[in-house]
Amino acid sequence: MGITRRPGKPKASRRPGGLEQEVLAVLAAAGEPLTPAQVQEALGDGLAYTTVMTAMSRLHAKGILSRERVGRAFAYCWLDASTLAARRMHRLLETGDDRAAVLARFVAELGPEDGQLLEELLADGPDGDE
Amino acid sequence: MLAPFAVAVIFAAGVRRLARALPPAHAVRLVSATSVVIAVASGFAAAVAAFTFAAQYSQVAALGDWSALSLRRIDPMWPAVGTVAAGAVIGCGVAAVFVVVRYVRALVSTLRAFRGLGADAHGLVVVEDARADAFTLPGVTGRVVVSTAMLRALPPAERRALLAHEASHLRHRHHVFLLITELSAAANPLLRPAVDAVRFGVERWADEDAATEIGDRCLVARALARASTAAAEPLRGERYALRMNARTFGPRARALLAPPPRPRRMLAAALAAVAVVTVASSFVVASGTESRFDQATIVTTAVSG
Repeated sequence: MGITRRPGKPKASRRPGGLEQEVLAVLAAAGEPLTPAQVQEALGDGLAYTTVMTAMSRLHAKGILSRERVGRAFAYCWLDASTLAARRMHRLLETGDDRAAVLARFVAELGPEDGQLLEELLADGPDGDE
Repeated sequence: MLAPFAVAVIFAAGVRRLARALPPAHAVRLVSATSVVIAVASGFAAAVAAFTFAAQYSQVAALGDWSALSLRRIDPMWPAVGTVAAGAVIGCGVAAVFVVVRYVRALVSTLRAFRGLGADAHGLVVVEDARADAFTLPGVTGRVVVSTAMLRALPPAERRALLAHEASHLRHRHHVFLLITELSAAANPLLRPAVDAVRFGVERWADEDAATEIGDRCLVARALARASTAAAEPLRGERYALRMNARTFGPRARALLAPPPRPRRMLAAALAAVAVVTVASSFVVASGTESRFDQATIVTTAVSG
């Protein structure tokens, strides 16, 4: 079964708050301070520098990111939640009633028949270049 | 009086296939709404049966000025049916209460966990964790929780698909559909398959929303594949035991690699008709029971007057 990539719609239209979430994701995954230019490059998608910068300063205003001056720009860093809160979350995951509390885990338990489909989908590599 | 139960059996038999044939957003709404209607109608029928049975005993009949003798003559309720009905009403009522209690307790514990998590980015919270995971927590303002390990496992484009999927769960309040279907199944256990259909349906709904936003169904399927692989390693052991049937990767990925399901008006109309018929049967039962009890009352008055 060949999996062909369909051309995507222009990705400029995001749901409200979507860009902030993606910016947060980039910074949290990086685990180190990044400038708006670096985040812009990571996201790609033809996003304007000012758009990315606005999203980052909004996240800073909410207290999710910290920032420090690096040359002319700021470098923003993700502020990790307190260990206490994280521990509470872990306990929730481990003891919570799956039906009501932890809804809709994105990932599923894999079955033996899923192996081939998985391989085919991931064969292209992270960038999906065929 | 048996109509809601017959409907429940037929509905339960076909619900899974039905849910996959319709666009997920329609399927979830229709299936959960129909489940509620069937549950209420069957609960009502059982309650009426139980009450009619109880009223055939003079102690109970005296409360409403009915003649127990007349009731027994007009429409005798077999003791077996009556007792089963009474037991069902009590048992299912208790089960439904349990569902609500469990849900409220889960809500309270998640609210406590929210405190101290810090600010959210439009509902999204990231937690530092070596285990890759992403899920949505219900609430008045729910939260999407993603671990850093999950973020690092996905390239930015696929991360976007993951976030769009979870945002859909929040935006459309999928946990509400799940809760009302769970309640319906507690009230009428025949409706169990509807819960599975809704559970799978909300995942598909979120997948479709993500695919629409990203504009690339294959990318969303890839994100699902990669996230499944990332989570498979660290999340072993008792965590899986907490999950309900979670073997949905295959069907979801295949559905994403196929064109989106088109709206099927005939199917939706059929389901709506089923709900209407069920409601109508309840009215028939209600009026029939009312006239039966009225007859019993009149006889008493005639005798005493």
